[in-house]
Amino acid sequence: MNGTVTGPPRRPLPLRSLLVQSAWSRRRDRRGFWFIAPFLLFFVVLMLAPLGYAIYTSLYTTRIIGGTVFTGAANYTQTLESGQFWSGVIRVIIFAAIQIPVMLAIAFFFATIFDLGVARYGTLFRTIFFIPFAVPAVVGAVMWSFLLEPQFGPFVHLANSLGFHGTDYFSSGLILPTIIVIVIWEWTGYNMVILYTALRSVPRDVIEAAILDDTPLWKIILKVKLPMVRPAIVLLVFINTIGALQLFTEPLILYYFEPQAISTNFTPTIYIYNTAIAGGQYNLAAAAAVILGVVIVIISVSSLFARRRRSEV
Amino acid sequence: MPSTSRLSWPHRPGARRIAGRTAAGLAGAVTLSLLAACGGGSPSPAAAGSSSASASASSSATLVAGGSCKNSSATKITFWAWVPGLGRAVNEFNKTHPSICVTQEDVGAGSPEYVKIADALKAGSGAPDVAEVEFDELPSFEVTHNVVNLVPYGANKYKSQFVPWAWKEVSQGPAVYAMPGDAGPMAFYYNSKLLAKYHITPPATWAQFASAAAALKKADPSAYMTNFAATDLQWLMSLMAQDNAWPFAYSGGSKVTINWTGPAQMKFAAYWQKLISAKEVNGTSDVSATSFADMDKGIDASWLSSAWGPSYFAPDAKQSVGDWRAAPLPQWTAGAHVAANWGGSTYPVFSQSAHKAAAATFAEWLNGTTASWTITKTAPSSLFPTFLPLLNDPTYKNITVPVSGSSHPDQTFTAAAGNIQGVPWPPFMTEALTQSATVFAGVLSGKETLAAAFRNFQNVLANYARQQGFTVSG
Repeated sequence: MNGTVTGPPRRPLPLRSLLVQSAWSRRRDRRGFWFIAPFLLFFVVLMLAPLGYAIYTSLYTTRIIGGTVFTGAANYTQTLESGQFWSGVIRVIIFAAIQIPVMLAIAFFFATIFDLGVARYGTLFRTIFFIPFAVPAVVGAVMWSFLLEPQFGPFVHLANSLGFHGTDYFSSGLILPTIIVIVIWEWTGYNMVILYTALRSVPRDVIEAAILDDTPLWKIILKVKLPMVRPAIVLLVFINTIGALQLFTEPLILYYFEPQAISTNFTPTIYIYNTAIAGGQYNLAAAAAVILGVVIVIISVSSLFARRRRSEV
Repeated sequence: MPSTSRLSWPHRPGARRIAGRTAAGLAGAVTLSLLAACGGGSPSPAAAGSSSASASASSSATLVAGGSCKNSSATKITFWAWVPGLGRAVNEFNKTHPSICVTQEDVGAGSPEYVKIADALKAGSGAPDVAEVEFDELPSFEVTHNVVNLVPYGANKYKSQFVPWAWKEVSQGPAVYAMPGDAGPMAFYYNSKLLAKYHITPPATWAQFASAAAALKKADPSAYMTNFAATDLQWLMSLMAQDNAWPFAYSGGSKVTINWTGPAQMKFAAYWQKLISAKEVNGTSDVSATSFADMDKGIDASWLSSAWGPSYFAPDAKQSVGDWRAAPLPQWTAGAHVAANWGGSTYPVFSQSAHKAAAATFAEWLNGTTASWTITKTAPSSLFPTFLPLLNDPTYKNITVPVSGSSHPDQTFTAAAGNIQGVPWPPFMTEALTQSATVFAGVLSGKETLAAAFRNFQNVLANYARQQGFTVSG
């Protein structure tokens, strides 16, 4: 890039110095190990071991009648053939396809306003916008459930007074938009802060040059700033997509308010949860969890490659 | 408050029904402390009424009773239950049985408790000695051999003290796997003023019920004869039991019959579908803020309710207080006296218990003695007995409650208690209850017929049972 990273070209090192260096680096590795040991311990105990156990569990089947037997890939084929699992996956993909662009547009809009400095008390408002993110998802979902409750919720009265009579935010047609609204409320502030930070780091001289060229403001925002914060947007799309695939808390809480609205396979994680807890099919649930994990890894890796090709990473 | 009563995943309608018959009982049945805490300070009318009672609502594992026993050498028994006020009986037991010390913990109502028990049984330790388990859930613990046959511990000498159907539901052949506790005999619980206004008498048969529903709709298009809560599986199955259309046969072991699509079941579905399609019954969930408000406002003229129903409805009853009467359930055959049960608990001893005899002594005392029932029949427990000495007690039958005016609803409910047929619950009710909310959701919204939901449910359950290694016949 600008030379500070790469440094001057190296001469090939003589053999002796290479050996010395590698011996030194081996010693350094060992000392380094103790520094990363605490992390490594928790990583192995809390990440790798459960993952390994989930994979191990998924290869067996425990039945009420017949006990536990090795069934190999049977749980995987059953999940892959299960319409229930995939309909949940499709639902969260639809969810992501709507929720993420809308949320990022709102977040970018407000980030731009704060970046331009046209709003007074910018810091205060940025904090207020960020607050929903600080509210635990459970609390947020409970709060929204009360607000949208069909019988007493103020939003139902609002819809009625606007002429939309008999609005039920928990009906099968509106439940997904309802969750989209809740999640947008929860996460816009967080996304906005990241975009705001990215916008702040856009070099001032570029903007000044644009201003000197009499570029209209909307063009500066959409044609200069937006492309320059694209890496941040790509990162947010990626993080939000993973979050959407793991959608769990909001539909779970809504279930308590309106059990009919949230099916047992509403999202893949809810399907996994119900398969394990209600159905007692822990092995099948483990297989479904591994498959969901693989789907997420595929999305992550492909996004990483996409970004690398554009040399954003 | 009623919206909080739905709090448990998987959907466990039964969890609340056994908890008691008062507002305090309702709060005690709240599974997660989540909304109980919310309800306390929330301005939402849905939560109103719970604030006073939420203090008694259970958190995830609350020590309820028996924290300290005087005799330190006493045999220690752990007891899990969620009925509010049950700790009073536990303390009484500890006082009168110095050699045993029972500690009661509330780990959640219904499903959360079963999940914890199942996990402890799987892990090999940590299960309670005795626990409250609903009638429908008991076979799930029998099939895995996790509950103890109480016959060697003298259970049979209590047999004559209980209504036969309740004893039948805790028995498997000669073995007795739990002591029956409370129950919920059903009745036609109706708004007498509303029906009288349109000159409708409480229907004696389901045919009369259907024509009364049509007549009411004609007289008042905004009113419904009752609400039909298709997503409440236990309620639905109770009505099916009364129609001799029970969809399961099971007597232990690996063979189970699942039959949601037989002639009796389809006839039952067709009867109700006619009322649903004609919009003569209200398609809402039951035991909910919505249904109680509809009852109070004169939109639902009746509720096919259980003995615990009046006290669940009472906190939400405002303008209709005093108007509600209980009559026997309509009959499929004129002149018959067939009732049904909806809800209720049993008290098994778990195989993990190190002190099975002491645990059995407690379970037997708690459910089979007047000393215990004298306590548990009163608020906040307010349990409806399967215990005959109390069931036959005239003073118990003649209790009045404000919501029912000067009438004696328990006369109807106690009479119904003797007209119930025990039913064979399948050993996978948790799964059935969870799936039912999804399968039957379309019936409420009118998107699918009850018969279609029955066929769908048949497939869901048969697939599950086969995966679990059962031999399934239809």
